[in-house]
Amino acid sequence: MALSEKDIELKIREEAKKALATGEVSCVIGWTTTRFPDKMKPFFAETEAECDELVWNKYCINGTAKYALDDRYPSKKFAIIARGCDSRAINRMLKDKQLLRENLYIIGVVCDGKENPICEECQHKNPLTYDVLIGEPVPEQIDEKRFAEVEAFEKLSPDEKYEYWAKQYDKCIHCYACRNACPACNCVECYADQYRTGWQGKASDRIQNQVYGLTRAFHVGDRCIECGECERVCPMGLPIMRQTRKMLKDINDLFGDYECGMPDDAMPVLGGYTLADPDEFM
Amino acid sequence: MSVKTNENWEPKILAFCCNWCTYTGADLAGLNRMKYPENVRVIRVPCSSRVNPQFILRAFQKGCDGVLVCGCHPGDCHYATGNYFTRRRFMLMQRLLEYNGIDPKRFQAKWISGSEAAKFRDTVTKVSAEIKALGPNTKFAEPHFTEGGDK
Repeated sequence: MALSEKDIELKIREEAKKALATGEVSCVIGWTTTRFPDKMKPFFAETEAECDELVWNKYCINGTAKYALDDRYPSKKFAIIARGCDSRAINRMLKDKQLLRENLYIIGVVCDGKENPICEECQHKNPLTYDVLIGEPVPEQIDEKRFAEVEAFEKLSPDEKYEYWAKQYDKCIHCYACRNACPACNCVECYADQYRTGWQGKASDRIQNQVYGLTRAFHVGDRCIECGECERVCPMGLPIMRQTRKMLKDINDLFGDYECGMPDDAMPVLGGYTLADPDEFM
Repeated sequence: MSVKTNENWEPKILAFCCNWCTYTGADLAGLNRMKYPENVRVIRVPCSSRVNPQFILRAFQKGCDGVLVCGCHPGDCHYATGNYFTRRRFMLMQRLLEYNGIDPKRFQAKWISGSEAAKFRDTVTKVSAEIKALGPNTKFAEPHFTEGGDK
């Protein structure tokens, strides 16, 4: 029998308290209320009393995994409430050696989707990595239309494609919100912040925005877990997933079925190679 | 600003050449007095995997009409595995650029070994002709670097 939202919430609080009570865990990363009933915010519960402020409802949208990077080398373990998407983000961060598994206590929660359009495309409602699981695992769905948008866009002519993206990047205001929200953007220092090397121009014009957009798409490349945070936080409404999904589609086409954040030992696509890779450069 | 239709327009092509294979191949082409279009500018890199995809974006930004990345054949890399990474990286990069409206002919990669002087000549000649047919690149380019830039 599936647990109700309220039951899950109570269980989360219970598990959070248990984790804190061991004394090994310094805080629990989850969500709490704001003054708006339909907005929840990320929350770090550090005491038992604060654990009662943790909530679970359909507005708990923010990814929690990104906040695990706030303290990469913590003196104490911390607990994190992870849905399917968060657990995949954590898996990839572990693979990238941005986090240590022994510093994490993962409270997995089965998630049946939030008030977020991307959740309809979710292929992993059950957390993949966890220390304790709340809720009964549900059957997973396969998103048949995962690359439909990309495939449709590929059919346009080169000039149409360029015009489309140029117009999109004209809107970009260079706020880096996509990078800040993205769990795949886990570099200690982003290339765009390396002012003195001058990778990224500071001007907010078409050229610089295009360079930023393409570079980010490539950097995120095989790390994208398709959580849709980039598009959700973009204040100008750029279709950022359309770029990152293109990378994933090509990876799937060229190097075999691929989904990021699966708990396996496979090398990251762009961090490895096989001798059998297709070769177009002969 | 109107687009100049200069009949004497010659494309600017940037070629990143691996020190151990292609650069030596290009050197051999010179020694053999082979003739190839002079609109290719060679940058010597220690390995084709030294080339960051951002170099390519930067090249287009600064007014190059085409970019060529050349390295050792798979299996021949001086550093044993570098060009395998190049292969994956640039197959994806080429597709991402195409998705953003850049003709795949404008960014090409090729394996040319140290003894393949003729292949270097042929590749450069072919790429040069292809880009000449495509005309000046205005996409991703800073306006003051191109003839009749993007905006």
